[in-house]
Amino acid sequence: MKLQEIADKLELEKLTPVFDKDVTGVYISDMVSDVIANAKPGNLLVTVQVHANALAAANLVDICGIILAQGKKPTDDVLTMAAKAEIALFSTALTRWQVATKLYEAGLR
Amino acid sequence: MNGGPPSLRYELANIQPGYVIIEREMYSKAARSYFSPEPVPPKEPYREGGQVWALWETAQSFRFAVRDNVTGAVVKFDELLGLLYYACCKPDSDLYRIGELALENKIFVYVAITYEAPDGSRLNISLDKVALLNRVFNERLHTRNKRILILPDYFGLYKELSHGQVMLDFGLTSMDEASQEGSA
Repeated sequence: MKLQEIADKLELEKLTPVFDKDVTGVYISDMVSDVIANAKPGNLLVTVQVHANALAAANLVDICGIILAQGKKPTDDVLTMAAKAEIALFSTALTRWQVATKLYEAGLR
Repeated sequence: MNGGPPSLRYELANIQPGYVIIEREMYSKAARSYFSPEPVPPKEPYREGGQVWALWETAQSFRFAVRDNVTGAVVKFDELLGLLYYACCKPDSDLYRIGELALENKIFVYVAITYEAPDGSRLNISLDKVALLNRVFNERLHTRNKRILILPDYFGLYKELSHGQVMLDFGLTSMDEASQEGSA
């Protein structure tokens, strides 16, 4: 499934350009170390963490995009970092649990 | 890690959660860091000869090894404190400038930061081990033409260890916006 398709289905707010990437799965975490240790390349990360380090960790493991739940939005410098790394950032008012439910309903496993 | 035939040659193995502990000596203000696998990080000051060490900062982290699925060799990275992304550094720093140059070729630069020894010196990480780190993180990339370049800490960045500079969970456990303003 493509990132754009998920963004449309969940009606996510796009904070960066949406890059043409396939989503291989979903990982939900707010811990940088956990993302590095356990997330898989191509995963879509669901988090409330807006710190630059979260973006750095996501880039290291080749996360395809990040959904910031509960209305979280990063600073402009993090948005710039994300765009340079071609990691799409989205924001939604939904909770992480609600996002997870909708991603499952959308067909992601 | 997931069982079944491995599709990649290298993988992270023996992942052990724990804490990065940074301590300061009460009188000399010397600092040192180490990894603690204990479920609860130590908090009480303690005496070591004429010195008294007290907790200064702690962060959730993990340590790991890299397994070579062809040879079966497992290499520990116990000396590795974290990986610093160039873009988390100050724009006027050498690492930032190098990182921006590399980015033009879709190369993302990180620096391997090691722990400090009790005497304040930096633990060494061999070039062979840095090369192995590069292999494990690059091998599994999905994005076309993207490369990760992990460098040894030729920049002395370990001396500037501070909130937000190293990819650990320093100050990231709170949702308080004020706790997230520590980036370099």
